[in-house]
Amino acid sequence: MDAKLLNPFIQAAVEVLEAEVNANISRKEISMQNSSLTSDDITVLINLVGDIYGVVMYGMPTKTCLNMISKILGQDCTELDSLAQSGVAELGNVISGRATIRFAEAGFKSNISTPTVLKGKGIEVSTLGFPRIVVPLETQFGVLTVHIALREKKPGESGNPEEFISLINAPLSQKGS
Amino acid sequence: MNVKFLNPFVSAAHEILSHEMHESIQRGDLHLENGSYQTDDVTVIISLVGAVDGTVFYSMSKEVAVGLASVLMGEKFASLDRLAQSGIAELGNVITGQASMKLAAAGFESNISTPSLIIGKGATISTLEFPRLIVPLTTSIGALTIHLALREGIQQNLKTPQLEIPKVDLKDK
Repeated sequence: MDAKLLNPFIQAAVEVLEAEVNANISRKEISMQNSSLTSDDITVLINLVGDIYGVVMYGMPTKTCLNMISKILGQDCTELDSLAQSGVAELGNVISGRATIRFAEAGFKSNISTPTVLKGKGIEVSTLGFPRIVVPLETQFGVLTVHIALREKKPGESGNPEEFISLINAPLSQKGS
Repeated sequence: MNVKFLNPFVSAAHEILSHEMHESIQRGDLHLENGSYQTDDVTVIISLVGAVDGTVFYSMSKEVAVGLASVLMGEKFASLDRLAQSGIAELGNVITGQASMKLAAAGFESNISTPSLIIGKGATISTLEFPRLIVPLTTSIGALTIHLALREGIQQNLKTPQLEIPKVDLKDK
């Protein structure tokens, strides 16, 4: 995966965390994984569609999540209730939104989906054919890991994920008309 | 959730499953859930972005996933290996793609995301403020449940963050 897909997310994550929670961030080593992700306590999943498409996931332990949400909301969150969940989803949303603005500035128009929050450690999340770049960001609240599984739409390609794996002979004949 | 978003999914699922499995599919009673969803063994997650916004889940047990993958790909699978996984993801993809074409024909054009597959029972998935409409389907292989958490899209252009974070001034407390 291209660095131009990676940097907007890292920059956006750093900027947002600095602005929202005053985080001191140090980036740990970036790695690339082909296998499926084994979830941490909390995973926020946001899809991208458009010129750049795929999925971005933000994983963190409950403690990191609660520390950050407490800081954002300015009140002590001790439990991962619906307010805390929507806070962490929003954090993912803001980071992804900011990254897509950078993509747009670079000439790639894409949209982000609504966030989905996955709770539960040790669950496998597979991005199928997409390799994942794993970016661990260490803050004073704990580690937040950004998983980036994105692709750039090639010229002439519809960017439609239906062409992503074509194994099933489904009745899609009306598609072309 | 608007019921006009429901029928395209039900008919797409029906068409595709009936076509692939050469049998008719039974639909169970619909209901609406507000809380979060406890995952079954296998869940395919696909988002819609555009005039219809939100997320669709397809959930099933491991046995059903292996069975469906075997039927769809015409090859007997013993376990949910990578190829079987991509077959199940593709099933979600094809149903969602077909439904999104029906939605587009009704004037709601949206893009669908690539599928993600969640394997592992008992995790909790929250769609936040989106209620989920549950559509249980029964096939000869077993049960497949579709969860629709959709709403009419607010913006069609480049999105800015949607939910406002409530800012609390510490001095007020």
